[in-house]
Amino acid sequence: MSAPELMHSLQELSFATAISESTWLFPMLETIHVMALTLVVGSVAMMDLRLLGIGSRDRSISELTRSVLPWTWAAFAVAAICGLLLFSSKAVAYYDNIPFRIKVVCLLFAGMNMLVFHFVTARDVGAWDNGRTPAAARVAGVVSLSLWVVIVATGRWIGFTT
Amino acid sequence: MIQAFSDWLAATRLSQTFADLGWFVPTVQTIHILAIAAVVTMLSMLNFRLLRITRDGPSLQNLAGGYVPWVWRFLVILLISGALLTITEPGRELMNNAFRLKMLLVVALVVLTVVLHSTLRKDPEYWTSTPQRRVLGGAIAVASLALCLTIVAAGRLIAYV
Repeated sequence: MSAPELMHSLQELSFATAISESTWLFPMLETIHVMALTLVVGSVAMMDLRLLGIGSRDRSISELTRSVLPWTWAAFAVAAICGLLLFSSKAVAYYDNIPFRIKVVCLLFAGMNMLVFHFVTARDVGAWDNGRTPAAARVAGVVSLSLWVVIVATGRWIGFTT
Repeated sequence: MIQAFSDWLAATRLSQTFADLGWFVPTVQTIHILAIAAVVTMLSMLNFRLLRITRDGPSLQNLAGGYVPWVWRFLVILLISGALLTITEPGRELMNNAFRLKMLLVVALVVLTVVLHSTLRKDPEYWTSTPQRRVLGGAIAVASLALCLTIVAAGRLIAYV
């Protein structure tokens, strides 16, 4: 089955047609998606600004991670579920949409950046937990901030190009 | 009166110039959403602390001292970007009930944040000193969180109402 055929089949599933045919389901899911996304972007930015030494300088990286990251993951789970449901309702149009494709690629890069930071860069976090972060951590912060700005921008652009 | 103002604004050269630029609305909306993300996250972290859901890290007073000045800065960005969007599409915003609700809720959120911050500046233990204040502080935190979520919802629903 080709990708466009797969998108067409997805769009024809009962829950997808229910979303696209309902007056309020799509706006409600989109609203919850945006609510969750604001928390994801805000909390990720809080961590990134700490890595860059711009924000929360009086807090250790590990303490800030413990306080913020559970909310990031919870909000991300909600945003992802709503995002997938929204996608299913217009899968064919979204699949062909360039801003949507850029958004998905940026999400994958943001995920990879996070994994590299946690499993490689932050292995010796004890050495710089309270002080100036190493160059690799600052690079991770800049990359993450940039990717999330593009994710929000492309997300907004989808509405103007579908 | 609002209808007449909206019509006048839509006919201005500035409104028409912004409306003719295809990139203008999505770009300003992106800036608006990023600023909302900053405000909502900082206030949420503050409210989670007030509700004692999070307990690690700086005291409530230090957290408020760090976050609230930034909340005001981002609020200025929100007002400027919101004003630009209203100038570009006055009918879509000024005549919309979701937009009007959003503005009322923003005022309520600002009042709650001022109350919370000013009391903490005078007395760091204000919201924990008595059981009654602890309950009131919790109620303010829940109201603030609900306002944040409703403001985001109303903002998105402007496109549908």
